[in-house]
Amino acid sequence: MNFAHGELYMLGAYAGIAVIGVTQSFWVALVVAPLLVGVVGAVTEVATLRPLYRREPLYGLILTFGLALVFREAVRQIWGGDMRRILPPITGSTPLLGMTYPNYRLFLLGASSVLLLAIWLFFTQTRAGIVVRAAVQDAEMLDGLGVDVRRVFTLTFAGSAALAALAGLLLAPVFTVYPQMGVEMILLAFIVVILGGMGSMGGSVVAAVVIGLTQSLFSLWMNPQRVAIAIFGIMIVVLVVRPRGFFGREGVLE
Amino acid sequence: MSRVSSWRGALVLAALVALPALPFMSKFYLLLAFDALLFGAIAMSLDLLIGYTGLVSFGHAAFFGLGAYSTAILLERGVVSLWACLGFAVLVVGLYALLVSYFATARRGIYFALLTLVFAEVVYTFFRYTQTFGGSDGIQGVPPAQLVPGVAIDTPLANYYAVIVYLALAYALCRVLVTSHFGKVLVAIRENEDRARFLGYNVQRYKMAVCMISALLTGVGGALYPGRSAFATPDLMLWTVSGEFIIMVMIGGLGTLGGPIIGGAFFVLLQEQVSSYVDWYFMVIGLVLVFIVLFMPRGLLGFRRMLGFGQWRATA
Repeated sequence: MNFAHGELYMLGAYAGIAVIGVTQSFWVALVVAPLLVGVVGAVTEVATLRPLYRREPLYGLILTFGLALVFREAVRQIWGGDMRRILPPITGSTPLLGMTYPNYRLFLLGASSVLLLAIWLFFTQTRAGIVVRAAVQDAEMLDGLGVDVRRVFTLTFAGSAALAALAGLLLAPVFTVYPQMGVEMILLAFIVVILGGMGSMGGSVVAAVVIGLTQSLFSLWMNPQRVAIAIFGIMIVVLVVRPRGFFGREGVLE
Repeated sequence: MSRVSSWRGALVLAALVALPALPFMSKFYLLLAFDALLFGAIAMSLDLLIGYTGLVSFGHAAFFGLGAYSTAILLERGVVSLWACLGFAVLVVGLYALLVSYFATARRGIYFALLTLVFAEVVYTFFRYTQTFGGSDGIQGVPPAQLVPGVAIDTPLANYYAVIVYLALAYALCRVLVTSHFGKVLVAIRENEDRARFLGYNVQRYKMAVCMISALLTGVGGALYPGRSAFATPDLMLWTVSGEFIIMVMIGGLGTLGGPIIGGAFFVLLQEQVSSYVDWYFMVIGLVLVFIVLFMPRGLLGFRRMLGFGQWRATA
């Protein structure tokens, strides 16, 4: 578990702002910013997390909590604590099924679908993806088979950092960019992963849809704080009744 | 408890009692000392869970905040007896802790941490958005509590002594607990939960009991907080506050009781000192935390012992 994941998501948005400042292009930033954050992730993993794999998971949890503080404060020092906006690169809107949608939202829908498909193909169809899953299941065995497990963990962490950054930049034109944005997102992300079941991507997607729908539907007849409490309530029930989530495998982090 | 350590404890207590007599102890430093000892005591009660039982609670901020709100609510409505406030806090925190510990202890490891976190977020969200309790501003400007009618705890000095009494009693209780049979069972659960169960111990009942004790001690600490600050805000229960409590325990040294007290005090003083020089103190705290996890995994107390100042005893 990584408490600094929300901060990597935030770093993506800020790296995007920096790159847009230089190149004036959202699309260049969309490629460059995740790469930059990926490098930050790789360096962080090698310098701080790698020595901890032999210790209790608790230490990793605490360490990433500390890293999150460092990242958040670094961003506040560099860019200031104000809210910032990124203008959507696609403007205009399209009428669809009786509603009008901003084109950028439709683009997000397409982009996230493509991303999900790509990640799924990576984990199921490529050798590299299978190696990553094997490393989670039994790192020692994989090591015995001659795979450099430490490199696998570093690259996985870098990849997940880059994906978080990509999400941060993609969502920046919809939400606002500020140093605390990761803190607000990370709990929701945890909830989605737990509800879906750790190690199950399909589960995460289903859980995200369930939470999104619950939030929208409940908002029709409840005020926002009740909705938040209702979501937490759902999570408590799932954790108590079925801690592995909707589709979780047995034995992950138990 | 050995005779040496009770002597040492008495010495520390005497030093703390005598501290306000020092010439430089202004009101400001008294309040700082209050914070240091209060959060030290809270870190110690969290250590019962993390250090001794191996249960990582990521929701202790809710126990702290509920205690603070209980006091603030009564004081605001004109009930100024300290004992009524403490009793109410124990009742509120106790009921909430019963609910949380019943569900959370049914699950192990990371799921315990997540359940405590989510329950705490529910409490935070409730107070954050309930206008009766001030919403995001919380309850501000509450009057001081009274020890007996007419004797108010309204000076930094009085608050300081109140927190010393709390710390001393809480420490004595924790010390007795961890040296008792009960404490030995907790350590057994930490080391090997299944084995403890096969030996015939009702593991969940032990876990619930220690959760309740830890939560109530934290809640009483929270109940003392409005006396010093005159407010209770939802920010006291943010999940990042729970994270800070864990940091304090880690800094001090898991499973030592004394360590987390030092860790809590160290954290408060560090924050205060660094923030008076630079405005990026959170980065310093983050870096200190990273450093401690990497190089001093047994915390300040453990580090001292590792260097040869005595035998390391995580469970003593």
